Amino acid sequence: MIKILTSNNVKLNLFQPLLAAVVFSFLFLPSNNYAQFKLPKYDVITLDNGLTVYLMEKKDVPIISVSAVFDAGAIKDGEIKGLSSFTAEALKFGTKSYTKNQIDSIFNFYGSSLNTYSRLDFAGIYTQFIKDDIDKLFPVLKDVITNPTFPDEEINKRKQRWAAELEQAKESPRQVIGAYYNKFLFNDSPYGNPVNGTQKSIEKIDRIAVSDFYLKNIRPENCAVAVVGDFDADKMKEQLVNYFAGWNSTTPRLINDTRENEKPLKESAVYLINKDNAKETTFMIGGFGVPMSNQDQIQIDVINTILGGRFTSWLNDELRVNAGYTYGARSRFASYKTAGTFYISTFTATKNTEPAIDLAIKTYNRLFEKGIDEATLKSAKNYVKGQFPPDYETAGSLAGFLTQKYIYGLEDSYINDFEKTVDGMTVKTANEIIKKYFPKDNLQFVLIGKADVIRDIAKKYGKITEKNISEDGF
Amino acid sequence: MKYLFVFFISAISMFAQVKADDVKSFTLKNGMKIFVLEDHSIPNANMYFFYKVGSRNEYVGITGISHFFEHMMFNGAKKYGPKEFDRVMEANGGSNNAYTSENITAYTDWFPSSSIEVMFDLEADRIANLNFDPKMIESERGVILSERSTGLENDPLEQLWQETQATAFIAHSYQWPVIGWESDIKNWTKEDLENYFHTYYAPNNCVVVISGDVKLSEVKKLAEKYFEPIPAGPKPRSLHTVEPEQTGERRVFVKREVPSPYVLMAFHVPQNISEDYYALELLNSILSQGESSRLYKSIVDNQQLALDVGSTYFDAFDPTLLFIYGIANDGVTAAQLEKSILDELDKIIKDGITDSELQKVKNQKLMQFYQTTETINGMSNTIGTYELFFGDYKKMFTAPEDYKKVTAEDIKNVAAKYFTKQNRTVGILNTEEVQ
Repeated sequence: MIKILTSNNVKLNLFQPLLAAVVFSFLFLPSNNYAQFKLPKYDVITLDNGLTVYLMEKKDVPIISVSAVFDAGAIKDGEIKGLSSFTAEALKFGTKSYTKNQIDSIFNFYGSSLNTYSRLDFAGIYTQFIKDDIDKLFPVLKDVITNPTFPDEEINKRKQRWAAELEQAKESPRQVIGAYYNKFLFNDSPYGNPVNGTQKSIEKIDRIAVSDFYLKNIRPENCAVAVVGDFDADKMKEQLVNYFAGWNSTTPRLINDTRENEKPLKESAVYLINKDNAKETTFMIGGFGVPMSNQDQIQIDVINTILGGRFTSWLNDELRVNAGYTYGARSRFASYKTAGTFYISTFTATKNTEPAIDLAIKTYNRLFEKGIDEATLKSAKNYVKGQFPPDYETAGSLAGFLTQKYIYGLEDSYINDFEKTVDGMTVKTANEIIKKYFPKDNLQFVLIGKADVIRDIAKKYGKITEKNISEDGF
Repeated sequence: MKYLFVFFISAISMFAQVKADDVKSFTLKNGMKIFVLEDHSIPNANMYFFYKVGSRNEYVGITGISHFFEHMMFNGAKKYGPKEFDRVMEANGGSNNAYTSENITAYTDWFPSSSIEVMFDLEADRIANLNFDPKMIESERGVILSERSTGLENDPLEQLWQETQATAFIAHSYQWPVIGWESDIKNWTKEDLENYFHTYYAPNNCVVVISGDVKLSEVKKLAEKYFEPIPAGPKPRSLHTVEPEQTGERRVFVKREVPSPYVLMAFHVPQNISEDYYALELLNSILSQGESSRLYKSIVDNQQLALDVGSTYFDAFDPTLLFIYGIANDGVTAAQLEKSILDELDKIIKDGITDSELQKVKNQKLMQFYQTTETINGMSNTIGTYELFFGDYKKMFTAPEDYKKVTAEDIKNVAAKYFTKQNRTVGILNTEEVQ
């Protein structure tokens, strides 16, 4: 279902800068002492077959959330880009005991749905249902994970639509610019893989490729299941053992330790993507970021909040509030298991392309030229702390965190010491974080827009590589 | 407190958790109604302000001003000047947003509960003393034009939506897009904004909902201190325009370069407060909720005619539209896709729905209710929505029961009543118009 934009013209959410936060501090002394938020208690067990199970009771609403993740993300696609993503969805195409239609109907009948997805580092399944329906739904979920049959007919049907969807997605620059950006930064190495593949690569998918990917990558020792909600943990443990203890993979385990060796960026470069009917230029500017394992993630996030992570962030304040160039400007660190990116992203009317890019760069450079002052840091610290608890309010978000723990090796202290870590930041450490992690030189640009009009502008920022958006792939 | 009730639930109430009675309310002397739901599961709270004003209150020349106004509410008042609202809120750990629809404008603040008094002070300042800085008006115009253009740039369906809606209504103000027409966005004046503020932004035209880690007694004290001194305004004039009955199919074509055509249909249907509402909402779910829904299963999965299909039935004060859309698969014409949608509608009109389908959509509604109650955000938004659109927030809690009363026959009947050729507007978006 599409969210209808005509009825939801929302003041931009995520990104809302501080020039002089001192002005108001006498009114309400921003206080650092919010109530602490802690990760609720949970159990973790490893079955004999290697499957990891997390259980967390949460009884405020009579529903249960299940998140299952597999170490089977798009970085493992190999020659067939999109294979991870396709395989994740194909789990629902039919099993030894249920057809695709039955799987859809059973979940829908109980007011639920079964959602599969793939990211660069992992693939997964997510569902949520009313607690009384667990005995009806868990056997189906178990079969989807452990006994998929990948029928040819369903694979062929989906392949055709998948390819058409890839073409359709290019109607929306904001939907596809991320894929171009990763491709430009990582090139042909795994983190440059387009998660949903290309029209050409999807064509190569067949039952053999999907089965092979499944057997190699979706196996108990590569999988974690987190169950959070209204249940008794002891009973649930027993049930899960019953469901999953028999899941064994006979194919030899493949040790695939994908590591990204980032090639240093030696010069600024521009990836110019032509879209003939564009009236806007949608752009990203940045470079490499940090992997998930980085111990300074939280501090980096605080600094990014100041730069482009909230409404009053520098970027949004300059590009939106002061200049009126855009509906929103932001910046972000996207972190993966062994690599990461940093980017500034926004969009503007074609005629404003040059001043908007110049202003984005000028604003970004303030980080290095002026750094962060005490009042700004204090405001950002309060902001990230105040906005943190709602991120873990639901059974679904907690199940998501537990499975992220599994994939990325996150510690509980990420949540439990979040406030302490934020509070520990000083102006000195903040400015050190900037120097250490924010890419300053050799910035990379991806611009999607009308190339004939913006080509000369683009030249200013670096060596241009040009591509048409209608060309397959990224 | 919440857990205690788990042991006492009867078969009548399926909702062990939040109950209608947990929601408390009081009305200030200036007519502002405030709802409070205490929920201490996280150390946070939120504040929602629902103003009964949206694009339906506009007229030609100022289309989109409700939404523009929504933006201006963040651009400076008396105590807190331009930019200060957001700066003070964020420095106190809070964030905010707002949305405008045809019917209402809603403002939302999310904050650590310890910052609640700052939120009251910020909100009271802008409700009582909004200021219009000419410089801010101009930069905000640019923001809105960018918001409008980025929506159209990234989503062909939005473009088709605007033109179909504008064709389906000829009299009622639901005909223009919430974001407004470009020439109006460029030309409304400071005076237009001031008039709008004085007409619609009085405390008596607003419902407030506060949920989370708060205490009713404290909220009451703060509301009396900050909101009660704001004077009530005259009741806004009610709208009297009634859309005349549609007397024949209307069609609209939008030319845009796309890989495959888009089809959008709009059928006139009644507003929330009407006897057909619940049956229509279930019909909407039968059509498009989940992979087993009629449209998805048949048109996307079995026939492979579309990449995506969907339907929506928005909350509305006045008779509104039920929309059905489809994005054609590669090589499928708009006519084929349109026919396949109509065929599915005809099947329901002719054969009705199965008992299992009916039970499914009722279960989906119950699940939706639980999902709403999972977050303090969902609670506030839904309490306010029901209070405004159904006239009573309690309807939110009886919704699963109200849906239960709907029969398969009711659904067949509303399908036959509203899915008629005479009552529909069909919009097609494609690279070329195929004859």
